[in-house]
Amino acid sequence: MSSVNGAVPTTIIIAGLALAGYALLMTARNRRMSVPLLAAVGVLEILLLVQVGIIVARLAGGERPAGLATLIGYLIAMPFIPVAAAFWGLAERSRWGPAVIAVAGLVAAVLMVRLHQIWPVIRV
Amino acid sequence: MSEPTASPGPTASPEPVSSPEPTAPQPGSTRTGPGRLLVAIYALFALSASARAGVQIATKFGHAPVAYLLSAFAGMVYILATVTLAVGSPAARRIAVLSCSVELAGVLAVGTWSLADPATFPDATVWSSYGSGYGFVPLVLPVFGLLWLRRWTRRARTLRTTATSAEDAGEAAGGGAGHGGGGGLGHSAEDVVADGRT
Repeated sequence: MSSVNGAVPTTIIIAGLALAGYALLMTARNRRMSVPLLAAVGVLEILLLVQVGIIVARLAGGERPAGLATLIGYLIAMPFIPVAAAFWGLAERSRWGPAVIAVAGLVAAVLMVRLHQIWPVIRV
Repeated sequence: MSEPTASPGPTASPEPVSSPEPTAPQPGSTRTGPGRLLVAIYALFALSASARAGVQIATKFGHAPVAYLLSAFAGMVYILATVTLAVGSPAARRIAVLSCSVELAGVLAVGTWSLADPATFPDATVWSSYGSGYGFVPLVLPVFGLLWLRRWTRRARTLRTTATSAEDAGEAAGGGAGHGGGGGLGHSAEDVVADGRT
């Protein structure tokens, strides 16, 4: 039960860290934004939307965390992280574009840990 | 005179509608290059600090009023730094230097205060314990911000010296911009100008 429960957040953490690592490697090797990197950002976006859906379903089922306002703030902000990073990174035609994407990957991973702190039923 | 946009560049090209990609290295702004990363992280902290403070003040202000007000103040400083770094005009750069300085002073002061008097901080702020809850990014961020802004202030100054003095100053300025560090080069450029005038 708990392993099924934590599958999506754990996947997001691994995917976020992997994306950050790949993007930082591109920065280190002086590469610009690329299509594979954008595709990876797209995958992260889909995973985050799935996670938002799971949490919304729990809320709709009548469960409530202690910090409901904070949780709702996270639910609203979460899907914008990869989108904003993609736009801001694409505007940069240098190695620092991928560096912006790396931040988005790290943030996605940190957000999952924070979600668990806000609402412990969200397992990691 | 200090405007970096004054460089003669692609305006002279005959075809008007070609690639928008800047092939020639343009002067840029504080939001380009490493600044792109800096603005992204500042925007993140602007969002998280002000949203967190907003929720805390709205739902449980009496619990830790000092901490929440400081969080709100931090959020506003982050917003100001984000906007001014993204704008990057000479005036915006001056405000950015100010907000980064306030931020550095704030994280040091609140960090010390939160350790010396934990009773005032039953709930954490962004700057509590020098930003340890945020991986010490709040402590490191203003330092990088100020270093980045200092490079731009210096570049603007060297642009002015190349405009006023001859090739010698230009060489010194190029070296200074390339290194991006060391206070000696900026001074030598100033001296060259001073010598040229006297």
